Amino acid sequence: MSAQTSSYPQWVIDLKEPPTTKPKITLADPPGYTASLTRKDRAASSKQSMRKQPTPEEMDTLKMKKAWEVAIAPAKQLPMSAIGMYMTGNTLQIFSIFMVFTLFKTPILAALNIQKTFASFEAPGTANRLIAVKIVYLLTNALSLGLGIWKVNAMGLLPTTRSDWLAWEAERTWSERAVPQEWL
Amino acid sequence: MAKLSAVLALVAFLAPATAVFEDEAFHIDFHYALLGRPKQEATFFQKPYAASKASLLYTVSENGTIGAVNPRDGALVWRSAPGASGRAHLRAGEEQDTVISAVEDRIAAWSASDGRLVWHSRLDNAIAEDLEILEQEDGISTTDAKDAIVLVGHGTNGVKRIDGKSGHVKWTFEDTSGDTPFQVSSSPTTIYYISLHAPLLGGGSKLRVTSLSPITGKKLDSYTLGSEGDVQTKDDILFAGANTAAPVLAWTDKAHKVLKVNIIGTKGVSSFNAPSSEPVDSIVLHAPKKVNSLPHFLVEYRTATGHSAEVYHVDLKKNAVSQAYALPPLQGKGTFATSTSDANVYFTRITSDEVTVVSSVSHSVLGQWLVKGSPALAGAYPVHGVSEVVVKGNSASAVRSAALFSNGQWALIRNNEIAWARPEFLAGTVSAVWVQLPEEESLAHQLEEEHHQDVVSAYIHRVQRHLRDLQHLPAWLQNLPNRILGSVAGKSDESTMEEIQHDTFGFHKLVIAATNKGRLSALDVGSKGRIVWSIDLHQFAPDATFINPSLKAFRGFVEVKDSSLPRSLFVNSTSGRQLSSEEAHGQWVPSQDHETLITYKLSEGTLEGFLGTGSAQPVWNFTPPLGERAISYFARPAKDPVASIGKVLGDRRVLYKYLNPNLVLVAAVAEAGHRASVYLLDSASGQLLHTASHYGVDISRPIPSTLSENWFTYSFTLDSSSSNSSRGYQLVVSELYESPLPDDRGPLGASANSSTVQPRGEAAKPHVISQSFQIPEEISHMTVTQTRQGITSRELIVTLPSSNSIVGIPRGVIDPRRPVGRDATAQEQSEGLVKYAPMIIFDPKWHLNHKYELIGIKDVITSESGLESTSLVFAYGMDIFGTRVAPSFAFDVLGKGFNKVQMLLTVAALFVGVLFVAPLVRRKQINTLWTVPQ
Repeated sequence: MSAQTSSYPQWVIDLKEPPTTKPKITLADPPGYTASLTRKDRAASSKQSMRKQPTPEEMDTLKMKKAWEVAIAPAKQLPMSAIGMYMTGNTLQIFSIFMVFTLFKTPILAALNIQKTFASFEAPGTANRLIAVKIVYLLTNALSLGLGIWKVNAMGLLPTTRSDWLAWEAERTWSERAVPQEWL
Repeated sequence: MAKLSAVLALVAFLAPATAVFEDEAFHIDFHYALLGRPKQEATFFQKPYAASKASLLYTVSENGTIGAVNPRDGALVWRSAPGASGRAHLRAGEEQDTVISAVEDRIAAWSASDGRLVWHSRLDNAIAEDLEILEQEDGISTTDAKDAIVLVGHGTNGVKRIDGKSGHVKWTFEDTSGDTPFQVSSSPTTIYYISLHAPLLGGGSKLRVTSLSPITGKKLDSYTLGSEGDVQTKDDILFAGANTAAPVLAWTDKAHKVLKVNIIGTKGVSSFNAPSSEPVDSIVLHAPKKVNSLPHFLVEYRTATGHSAEVYHVDLKKNAVSQAYALPPLQGKGTFATSTSDANVYFTRITSDEVTVVSSVSHSVLGQWLVKGSPALAGAYPVHGVSEVVVKGNSASAVRSAALFSNGQWALIRNNEIAWARPEFLAGTVSAVWVQLPEEESLAHQLEEEHHQDVVSAYIHRVQRHLRDLQHLPAWLQNLPNRILGSVAGKSDESTMEEIQHDTFGFHKLVIAATNKGRLSALDVGSKGRIVWSIDLHQFAPDATFINPSLKAFRGFVEVKDSSLPRSLFVNSTSGRQLSSEEAHGQWVPSQDHETLITYKLSEGTLEGFLGTGSAQPVWNFTPPLGERAISYFARPAKDPVASIGKVLGDRRVLYKYLNPNLVLVAAVAEAGHRASVYLLDSASGQLLHTASHYGVDISRPIPSTLSENWFTYSFTLDSSSSNSSRGYQLVVSELYESPLPDDRGPLGASANSSTVQPRGEAAKPHVISQSFQIPEEISHMTVTQTRQGITSRELIVTLPSSNSIVGIPRGVIDPRRPVGRDATAQEQSEGLVKYAPMIIFDPKWHLNHKYELIGIKDVITSESGLESTSLVFAYGMDIFGTRVAPSFAFDVLGKGFNKVQMLLTVAALFVGVLFVAPLVRRKQINTLWTVPQ
């Protein structure tokens, strides 16, 4: 140990000055080791495994498929959240309020971010077809929003009845005022 | 909104029984248990039983109430119900455990220590004129219950001896001579019956003295005294009797110049000249009331500016009366009281600033005390009094005197201090109003002004007002530490006018009360009914004799009306000073100019409406059907705020309330069929809106009623003799709606204006829903709580005279929409409705008076406080009671249970904790930043 303190150990030297030439060792690679390919090898292998690129039409179909999936996704959520809403009851509680809040937040945010959501599916060939997808996406989100509105209504928070506007109705004024004479 | 009202309804449903909380009782309320002004001849100190160490103060008041007061603190020990009139007498025998009273025709013996009735009897067709206790029989004191001698007049005149144990009459002496009975007096051996004998030829009356045997009641002797020139009526006689060894009879001439004294039993009359330096206004004779005391008496001469007295001795052997000595005249008014100790007689001279004790034997002063003034007695002088003296050796070591002062306070002077003062004058309160303080009103006025200006000038106006308000800031800041300390440590009961004006919660509201004797006083309901000021209205109107003054409150002043006053008096509500009619401007007028003013009054069973105030020709009149006569009417209060114009149903639809400010409810009764009817009128047009009739009603009983918002209620007594299926008392509640259908505003639709005089299309009649309830007690008066905005649910406050209490019935209990014969549905439950039950039992928790006994309550008035949750209640009549109620609980103020000290300590502890923890946390955060992740 003391002899090595003055000089660097061998592995440091090796690390700093990698051998310029490959050591001529003809040992088989360990199992599972893939030797890095040389440029030549790479060219050869690419030539061998070159698949046929999909055509733009195929790409568009794929993108449309994917886009439809995204558009339908909120509708798939719907039964789950409907059950959740049903289970929470119509009382004003912090849980039901949070759930209703998310029910409102998600569709609105989704509608605002619709371009971003479908940006990856945007292509010259899909632009027209995506409109329908976007509409469906909006509709499914609207469904979820509708669920929220139904829930809020069930909770009695929507001003749909006469009593909700009672405070804005004024008492009638009377053209006459009658008082007992002893009051004057 | 709907949810909010649903929540409020839920709160109301959960808590239909509001109660007085234990920590609030005796703090938020006050009660003056009053007797009325004590009568001189029937007020005395007496031991409640022979072995008792302390004595009680007994009295009969001017309204016939018998009561005992603890002389130590002025607390009422017991009292009877008020008598029919003030013709009441009260006597107690030596070493007896009963006191005997005679009120009108009712003779009763009461246990002296607790006021239990021992026996009572009634005189037939007669009234007790006088009452004496037979202390000795044949010169020997009995230890048994002593008998009473009653003088009977106004019918069959005579004297009765009544057994002290049972109240049975032992013997009766009937006087058929037609004389006017005056008084009885007893000496150890004889009973003297004194009457006024009016000669046939007119002129004055002779005094006739008849002596009776105490054992048989037989007439022993009779003689007349020549008093024709001086005595006309009973009031001219100064004094007669007293249970002394030598009872005297004294009278005077018209000019109060000569005093004539006769020793009863002898025919001689001694004459004495009254002091002639000043004209004497009145002469009062004070004599001891004990049989074995010295036969000395004191004659008090009252002049316009002062008073003096002379002491006389009776020589029993010579049957002569002689003047012993004279007490010096004093400026200022005062009175004398006699007291005895064994045989010695002492006279106590009570003036407003001094108490002096002299012995009847010599004129040397035994004791003298300068009395420290009390604000309750400021400016008042003693009118009459009784006293007890403790004499040791040759000086009086202690004296206590209970004196009625000229301002109606009954006070006890113990040596040199006022021990207590009872405001007995308030027992005659006939009218009371809540005061509108001028300050708060002026703010309202300013805001109104801003309301009518355009935005810019209103803004400038407001900024100017706020700048002006800044002048109060230094004083406010100076007061701040005191106020904080006060709110933490608990406030003292004393309050000043300043506090009343700057009262945050609005609990310190003034009530101005007028008594039948013409005394006006202001009470602070928020600080236990403290009397802020009290004045005698006679100083403003010297000639008037007030009978039934009525009050009306205006901005900063009250108006006093009385039938004896030629025109109204105006009195400043904060100081009690008189205002001229020019200063007292701003009388109440309808708020809007475009409103047509119609006035109405009940005259001879007909309600008549007039256009404006001055016209004499009625524009409408309402006469009940033939046979019925209208007895009373009830109008909707002038200030009756309504928070919501509709009632939200369980399914969130709305029933619109019929809100007509001109509603008036007329109660009418008919002899035939014992019918009581109520008529709901629109008093602008005189149109009949609703009527209801009840048969089998006891029409001699009152029909109290009240009208508020869109509902009215009334109560009546069912006739016990008729063939009703039920007996007892009923309470009927009715609600008025614009339409029976929810979400419908009736024929008027959505139109904002309404007129019943010139109706557009079909005149809108309300839809009425009624329910009646059986109640356990008769109601004598009812009213409704008032709150600032009318958001808090109302409470019906009823006065129950038979249980001496005031009960607040929650509105939910008497809701006429309670489902009948079935349980409430879920929606109805959410409205707070419960199944109809025909009987309302007054829940003990509804009683506002808890332990107090409220006797003789005539009227209850309510007022808003500064808090929406709370309504102030003030009841008057004989007793005075004030409290505050929160029908939906005090949701806007911290309760008494809230520990402010604990809260402050918690905050302080948290702050200290933060001080300690903050550096730790900071260090940790910095360390986190600098630590290399491992």
